Amino acid sequence: MIKKRLVGVVTVKDGWAVQSMGYQRHLPMGKPEVVIENLDRWGADEILVQCIDRTRQDLGPDLKLLERISRKGLSTPLIYVGGIRSVAEGVAAVQAGAERIGVDTLLRDHPRTAAALAEPLGAQALIAVLPLAITEGTLGWLDHRNGQSTPIGAEVAAVLKAGALSEALVVDWRHEGKLEGFDTRLLDRFPIAGMPLIAFGGLCDADQLRAVLERPNVVAAGVGNFLSYREHAVQHFKQQLLGLPLRPATYAAPSWA
Amino acid sequence: MSGGKRITAGLVDYGAGNIASVARALTGLGYRCRISRDMETLGAADVMVLPGVGAFPAAMEALHKHRLVDFIQNQARRGQPLVGICLGMQLLAETSSEHRLTAGLGLIPGAVVPLREAKWHIGWNSIEVLGNEPLLKPSDAKSLYFNHSYVFEAPAEYRVGVSRLDTPFTVAVRRGNIVGLQFHPEKSQLAGRELLKNVIEGLVSPYGRRKGDMPLAKAAFAA
Repeated sequence: MIKKRLVGVVTVKDGWAVQSMGYQRHLPMGKPEVVIENLDRWGADEILVQCIDRTRQDLGPDLKLLERISRKGLSTPLIYVGGIRSVAEGVAAVQAGAERIGVDTLLRDHPRTAAALAEPLGAQALIAVLPLAITEGTLGWLDHRNGQSTPIGAEVAAVLKAGALSEALVVDWRHEGKLEGFDTRLLDRFPIAGMPLIAFGGLCDADQLRAVLERPNVVAAGVGNFLSYREHAVQHFKQQLLGLPLRPATYAAPSWA
Repeated sequence: MSGGKRITAGLVDYGAGNIASVARALTGLGYRCRISRDMETLGAADVMVLPGVGAFPAAMEALHKHRLVDFIQNQARRGQPLVGICLGMQLLAETSSEHRLTAGLGLIPGAVVPLREAKWHIGWNSIEVLGNEPLLKPSDAKSLYFNHSYVFEAPAEYRVGVSRLDTPFTVAVRRGNIVGLQFHPEKSQLAGRELLKNVIEGLVSPYGRRKGDMPLAKAAFAA
């Protein structure tokens, strides 16, 4: 049986891994490669790297970072998000070391181009990244560039319904990096029925993780800052989540083995 | 291989996907890894590894562009061990219907078709090894990482591993010196590295051969 996944999320700004709070405040944590190596060693099911300044600065994907990560020889699948503007850049990100890529602004501005990534990469490699919040009862998709939220448009919905992207990363941007927990209404009111969802933002303890992972439409949960506070956090979370269809905690072989 | 010569793996560099991860996994296992599209280099390797991420037609187009189709077919038929990983496994098939009907390498009978029970198979799933396949047996019931939407439907005689959504589907195939793995052993942490080691060393070593195994060309001749 396919397992649900615990995804380690690393947020990168100006080339540094940062602790992020609501995407508003950021504290540097160190080199992204080092944080990622830890998640690899601790047995995360996937690692998601999101470079949050690439789109705003129109820099394209951070291929040099991907190449540095790739040289580490990770044995955990890597998802890359940040700055992808075209099919060629999506392909380049995969060739530089990502197994899968996520698109947000490209999907918003050019949904057909986002869908066209499936031709060279396959839909299984593509994730829709949707920072969402509910305001006055309405589900809105945040545009990081101007801070405005709008409903998911008809063209984007059609692309998602058609299966051009395999999963959606539902980001609770308001609670990201905070202790209040993920707003599960974002999952329950997600407008595309049957789309597999990855929940991320504010998931800081086992109870919150259990609440999202028990939902049938949720295939994975992403945890960011809260995995970096202590050694072997992935294994600790997995032990607390026994009974859910997760891959059991794994431990890297010692160097003398 | 303990006490023996160091294994050289020829990693086929045809521009489809992330080969650095596979290369790191191979060198991490202690093998020499030659990343190349040069036929002499690849042909001299103890085992040829065909990686792949992405869609079938684009990958076959890249193999044709680099004039590697005939070369890989001939080397496999001559008995050079060949391991296809993920899309690299699917390329071993006769055809794929991904996006449009495309001919594959045709090294193992069968066709690549959409998964029946789901649009995608993404994440960690356990494998069930069939027929006591010696290369995979130690990995029976281990969880490995998958990321695909199409599946290689091969005749039972070539199927050596399955996984399940509700019903089983093929995730590992073998025809003598040719092995295909639908999952990503290089991204499956310790379980994947162990499996990759067993497969490569089993193919390279005469002890890994099953009774009756013979290189593909001889098998075809015998048939």
